[in-house]
Amino acid sequence: MMLSKLAFRNVRKSFRDYFIYFITLTVGVCIFYVFNSIESQQSMMVITQSQVTALQTVNRIMGIVSVFISVIFGFLILYANRFLIKRRKKELGIYMTLGMEKGQISRVLMIETVFVGAFSLLAGLLLGVLLSQGLAVVTVRLFAARFASFRFIFSPSATLKAVLYFGITFAVVIAFNVFMISRQKLIHLIYADRKNESFKQPRLLLSVGLFIVAAACLLVAYALIKDNGLSRIDAEFWVSIVLGCVGTFLFFFSLSGFFLKLISGWKRVYLKNLNMFVLRQINSKINTSYISMTIVCLILFVSISTFSVGIGISTAATGELEKITPFDASFRLRLSEAIYNEAGELIDFQNVPVDLLQELAARGIDVKAFAREYAEMDYYAPFITFRFDWFGEESVWQAYVVKLSQYNALLKLQGKEPLTLGEDEFAVNSAYEGYNWQETLAAYLEVKPDLVLNGRTLTNAGMLRNALEVSFTADNDGITIVVPDDALDGLVAATKTLHMNYREPADESEELCKAAFGGLDLTNDGLNISMYRELTTKLVVYEASRNTSATVAYLAIYIGIVFLIISAAVLAITQLAEAGDNARRYGLLTKIGVENGMINRAIFAQILIYFGAPLVLALAHAAVGISVAGNIVAQFGRLNILRDSSVTAAIVIAVYGGYLVATYLGSKSLVKTR
Amino acid sequence: MSIILQAQNVEKYYGSKNNLTKALAGVSFEVEKGEYVGIMGASGSGKTTLLNCISTIDAVTAGHIFIGGEDITALKPKMLAQFRRSELGFVFQDFNLLDTLTAYENIALALTIMQRPPSVVDEKVHEVAGLLGIEHVLSKYPIQMSGGEKQRVASARALITNPSLILADEPTGALDSKSARILLESFQRLVRDINTTILMVTHDAVAASYCDRILFIKDGRLFHELAKGESARKEFFDKIIDVISLLGGDDNDAV
Repeated sequence: MMLSKLAFRNVRKSFRDYFIYFITLTVGVCIFYVFNSIESQQSMMVITQSQVTALQTVNRIMGIVSVFISVIFGFLILYANRFLIKRRKKELGIYMTLGMEKGQISRVLMIETVFVGAFSLLAGLLLGVLLSQGLAVVTVRLFAARFASFRFIFSPSATLKAVLYFGITFAVVIAFNVFMISRQKLIHLIYADRKNESFKQPRLLLSVGLFIVAAACLLVAYALIKDNGLSRIDAEFWVSIVLGCVGTFLFFFSLSGFFLKLISGWKRVYLKNLNMFVLRQINSKINTSYISMTIVCLILFVSISTFSVGIGISTAATGELEKITPFDASFRLRLSEAIYNEAGELIDFQNVPVDLLQELAARGIDVKAFAREYAEMDYYAPFITFRFDWFGEESVWQAYVVKLSQYNALLKLQGKEPLTLGEDEFAVNSAYEGYNWQETLAAYLEVKPDLVLNGRTLTNAGMLRNALEVSFTADNDGITIVVPDDALDGLVAATKTLHMNYREPADESEELCKAAFGGLDLTNDGLNISMYRELTTKLVVYEASRNTSATVAYLAIYIGIVFLIISAAVLAITQLAEAGDNARRYGLLTKIGVENGMINRAIFAQILIYFGAPLVLALAHAAVGISVAGNIVAQFGRLNILRDSSVTAAIVIAVYGGYLVATYLGSKSLVKTR
Repeated sequence: MSIILQAQNVEKYYGSKNNLTKALAGVSFEVEKGEYVGIMGASGSGKTTLLNCISTIDAVTAGHIFIGGEDITALKPKMLAQFRRSELGFVFQDFNLLDTLTAYENIALALTIMQRPPSVVDEKVHEVAGLLGIEHVLSKYPIQMSGGEKQRVASARALITNPSLILADEPTGALDSKSARILLESFQRLVRDINTTILMVTHDAVAASYCDRILFIKDGRLFHELAKGESARKEFFDKIIDVISLLGGDDNDAV
């Protein structure tokens, strides 16, 4: 077949043009496969039922996200394709002059697309299958599962999905090309490279003005979002987002003009080597591409934030585990009796006094059978109210009160020194550390150091931050007041808790403990008594946390990497698309005697600035965003910004830097060949 | 008078052993300092090849070319770029100005790539702009200038480095007759006033008539040489036309 021969030759000939396109497609397919095949990795590990469920959840989420991702990839492929066709207009014109019909030309392009598509699909899937073996090791670690045995994993469903989704995308590309060819006029194709240059006189003073406006917009946007703290989606939030976008747009719109104005006044730099050429070059280019740069910057911002916050949440979740699980298990029980009036209407609930250990013993449950050590803690709720402004809103807290002896028993279980209190003293315990909570609380106690309990006035003797039970999150644990035992005489506890440290082996103890408390029912002793009980164990918390963090980490890495690749690919494609114009200019520089080294440095400087500008602004955006989001993430535990950012930085440098180098080499060779 | 350019038996072959094209088959001539020399010839006569060899853009197959006493055929590739930018100035038919730079910057570029101090650059740009009468377009971009202005800006760029030799390849090819005249007259002025040496390739007899001396090339050899001497331009022009008809072929489109 003549046409397919021509198509093959074209692909081989314009390999350099296709290179970035091909790489992006391959990497896209690869990532698509890897993240859709996570479920199939379970054949490599020994996992519990809850982990199986978690893996299924991961897979379902990935499936949903993948639809969205493949649409974005579709747009990227269309964008790249448009540039490729644009560059080949003259070639298409020659086909037409030689008498080829539009249908035949469309067929040549179709064969090319199918060829490149099939090739990159195959390469991407191969790479994906290889990578997913490696990812299985990561999955095993993330879920803290045991490695069963190495088994070659291949996910037919992920393969099918990749073929289907990308196949649809290629079909759209083909349809687009056919449509485009059908609209082209021969004259335009033949004279494609002689298009009239649309020249816009750079308005430098306007640029300087707009640059200042852009900077102001961004600063206001940063200040607003800091103030908002991402806590409320309100007018302030939206104004900040809109100002951020507008500021970013104006920034790129005016950036090059601003610097051109700035540096052209600085003759020592401006009139040196090819500096003025490079600056003018960027100015002329950014003048036409500020929209794509704005979009790239915003995509990068999303990518970097997703990475950092995602990885942050996943590591914070694991890092904070020890703190929120001070014991092996915590049991919480509340018995309350409904009180009715004479008309039979419910008027109140009354706490029912109960001796937990005695009740357990009466039901044949021996806590000592699985607990090496244990301690009880009774929470009293005598309506002690804390009322203060916290995070811009009035905050009302009902404090629980506990006995000093029980509190100290809990501390002893944690291996901590006991607390001592005077006769008329109390201490405040709250483990939560986010959002200025501790400072706010301290300030309140400074003003109101006294409280009245049972007719006795107590004075604040200090604040403590001990975790008092096993819980799932490092969420705000409220205010617990520790008082001398006798201050609570005559009161009935609202909630009873029992905290245990297991006997070895922990696995068996866990099962015994779950069985003991799971079947506990104390309501049959009296009428109208309702029971609330809850057993939280360290093992369950750890597993749940790992499941969450693994899901979040996968999602963040998936979305982050895809966005990163897209932004870098868009930059690379636009750069290479302009290489034709640039080649003419560089050829001219060579003619007037500029050395290759100097030209290469100029090319590199241009690409570096072109890639660097959106990255730098995106980093600034992300720095603000992450510091604000840090407060949210703090609910999962404290962020280790430095460590999480370095992981992000490594990934960004690898992907973005890779594209930068590829673009530099591509541009260099394009300039050389002309 | 010192000799600026000396071509000795320059030969240039293209193609392979059994399909050889002799673009230049032994060309020898000399150009003295302060001379305005034209090279004429039909399409395919080898005049552009000769200019490319002199301008170090192409390498000779045999023979030697001396510019300012230096044998450029023996220069290493690394030295060539440096030689080009310090000893030669170029004026092309299609101007070859950078579209992104203003006239001022286009001219200044020739000096900045030689790492001249900025204060010198600024002074020199205004000096050559004055010589060529283009001070009023210095802040304009190429697209805002007329063809004649563009070519004079290109000439200023060629001139600013004080080159030993300015090579002009059909500089009037894309200009209307009035702009062409202004350009050619300013070339004459440069030669007369600041002793510039210009080697101009053209196939336009009118343009050639502004030169001091004309070399005619045919089939890769020097065919004839014509000096203006004391004759007036019109007289010189008639002589040129005579030689062109002798040359025969397709150069009758002159005038």
